Amino acid sequence: MTIAMLDLLTQPLAEPFFVRALIAIALCGATCACLGAYVVLRRMAFVSTALTHSILPGVIGAILLGFSPYLGALAAALLTAAGAAWLASRRGTSEDSAVGVMLSVMFAAGVALMQQANSWRDFAGLLFGSVLSVGGDDLAVIGATAALVLFGLRALHKELELASFDEEYAALLGARPALMRVVLLVLVALGSVACVRLVGALLTTALFVIPAATGVLLGRTLPQVMAWGAGCALLGGVSGLYLSYYAPAVPSGAGIVLCCALPYLGARLFAPRR
Amino acid sequence: MSKALDALSRHLGEVVFSVLPSIPYAQKDKDGCSGVAVAAKELSAAARPDGPIAFHAATFEIPCGCRTALIGPNGSGKSTLLRVLAGLTPIHSGEARVAGESPRLGRSRIAYLGQRPHLTELFPLKLRRLIQMGTYAHHGWFEECQHGDEAIDLALARLGLTELAERPVHTLSGGQLQRALIARAVVQGAEILLLDEPYAALDQPSREIIDRFLFEQGHAFTVVMATHDPADLGRFDRILEMRDGTVVTRHACSGHDHRHA
Repeated sequence: MTIAMLDLLTQPLAEPFFVRALIAIALCGATCACLGAYVVLRRMAFVSTALTHSILPGVIGAILLGFSPYLGALAAALLTAAGAAWLASRRGTSEDSAVGVMLSVMFAAGVALMQQANSWRDFAGLLFGSVLSVGGDDLAVIGATAALVLFGLRALHKELELASFDEEYAALLGARPALMRVVLLVLVALGSVACVRLVGALLTTALFVIPAATGVLLGRTLPQVMAWGAGCALLGGVSGLYLSYYAPAVPSGAGIVLCCALPYLGARLFAPRR
Repeated sequence: MSKALDALSRHLGEVVFSVLPSIPYAQKDKDGCSGVAVAAKELSAAARPDGPIAFHAATFEIPCGCRTALIGPNGSGKSTLLRVLAGLTPIHSGEARVAGESPRLGRSRIAYLGQRPHLTELFPLKLRRLIQMGTYAHHGWFEECQHGDEAIDLALARLGLTELAERPVHTLSGGQLQRALIARAVVQGAEILLLDEPYAALDQPSREIIDRFLFEQGHAFTVVMATHDPADLGRFDRILEMRDGTVVTRHACSGHDHRHA
């Protein structure tokens, strides 16, 4: 019995594409969970949704123009962040609505560009992810991005924590809370670019929000929140991959997100009240 | 297991910080308060950048070690004046000097406590970590704070918080939080405390602890405190009254540096 179960677990590992997918989802899941702790605590979930959705026109535009899709995605995400900040910089437009405007405009541009490219089917992977088709070069991009984001989070840990907890005191000390917000947006943009290949532009937000929300329920300090979040993302990511391997009817991106939601549900039901 | 993870993360952290330069948040302050702690000349400012002027032509001086009450009706500009002195609200016109320099960002010798602290709700943070944030003033970008434990313990004890050190910040009462923020200012080494109605939401025990701290420490701090309590005023060395949109000095302290008295 146990041997049969072990077989179920080890059999996919013989396939190189499955191992590549495992590495990719582990790297992305852990990185996004750490970053997601700030996204959740600072209530930036909507901004992160806008950044991940806006990747769509970036990637399609880059493919049409012959650039690297990753560069196009990054440029589009940064453009969205800058555009939302600019729209919200004047009284009368709240940040919320500025982000909403950018989100829908960018996504609409993506849909229009898709029509230009004249092929909806090719872009299904972009919208919903295709983690099982991750290649070696994708893995290199994902690894480099994850390293860069984690390095940034570690190097600026005390400033990011201070600015997220007590913005006024950060300003008083000269720790530049406004700059820290920009740094976080850039890191979220980088993280979403790495993830879009795995779970798709529509679902990337889930990797930022769900594991970190689990972490917030379980952790009592910021590093604990990040560790719980990363654990939840690893668990959800790996089980999601196995799910889509054995049940091909479930697309991999959707499987990963659904499996990430289970630990959250568990924590929500059983975590001690704080 | 968790110890191994801890050691691993510390080691990785050291790698990160060993390749980065450490840059202070602000240039280093000169030592000690000499003569005038806070001075304003023809100062005016607005609470919000595009709002109406809250006070104008305010001219006053507060010597080092002087404990000053800032009084006046609601909306007279007390909070705005304190925020201007803390460098959090821009000056409209005139001049303000705090510890001999303009109150720009990054002054480690000033501590400011607002009426209601604007802290992110439910942020996972223990009280000890909150107080440790005061030591950031002596560090800078890309630097980890691993020392300062003695100073933190001392500040915890002085404000009666020792038993609460490991408690999450969001479980503290208003009074405990206010004491914690003062402890953070102590760890920061602030000499000038700008307090905006610190007693507004305090229970009696917290109030007594803060009182003892501020008024029985032999003029260790220059205090500027906005207050509404007329019974309080006797304990201050100087009273600044905000009236008709400007500042009137009602009762000056003797003018010399109290700490050397």
